Amino acid sequence: MSGDTGGAAGHQGPEGGAQDRTSRPFDVGLQPERTALAWRRTALALIVAAVFGIRVLPTLLGAWALIPAGAGIALAVGILIASHRRYDQQHERLTTTDSNRIALPDGALHALVAVAAVLGGLASAAVVASVNLR
Amino acid sequence: MSTTDRRFPKSVYRHGTEPDARFSLANERTFLAWIRTSLALLAGGVALETLGLGLHPGPRIAASVLLIVVGITTPVQAWVGWRRSERALRLNTPLPSANLALPLGIAVIVTGGLVLLGVILA
Repeated sequence: MSGDTGGAAGHQGPEGGAQDRTSRPFDVGLQPERTALAWRRTALALIVAAVFGIRVLPTLLGAWALIPAGAGIALAVGILIASHRRYDQQHERLTTTDSNRIALPDGALHALVAVAAVLGGLASAAVVASVNLR
Repeated sequence: MSTTDRRFPKSVYRHGTEPDARFSLANERTFLAWIRTSLALLAGGVALETLGLGLHPGPRIAASVLLIVVGITTPVQAWVGWRRSERALRLNTPLPSANLALPLGIAVIVTGGLVLLGVILA
């Protein structure tokens, strides 16, 4: 992993001063940034999946399909926004020395994303069942 | 940090000490890769049934059901694996292996076989 070589450099203090501190990456391997991009493409995949629901759920629910599909899109957009805030929080916590008051983000968003994926799976199962049981 | 750590889930954060953040970030990305795998499997399962590909219905339905069952299982692996890895990082113990990786891999191979069968029988 490329980040492993950059630990010492990454933990340097904020010599750049207060204005400069958040523009300096935490890690030369850009691990928080790569993680932020992974969150973003996952959230975008969830949004695509929820939009796809508008296309396939009507076979099951008719016009009512807009309700679960809309809720799915809202959830996926919420996850995208939350993942951006998550990166900001991580970056702030990791690049400033006096920031112990800010906790590193926890696993709550992971749980929400996993639940969203399972709900998408249950909706998929319902669509496949309705296609075959008609 | 250990005095009032309110972070979720407690089953992770009540143990051990804060690991190198880069390892936690790598663990996060692994979790997210499993989630995207799940979405791809589900998309495949729905596509088989809704795109009208002209496959033989028996193997097609079996492949679709298998993809969706695996697609629902994968987020569980993602969450359980993330939690166990994060706890191992905090306790400085060996990382767990992904228990469901082999069954999921076999299921994908079987799915491919079923789709092939569906093409041949069509």
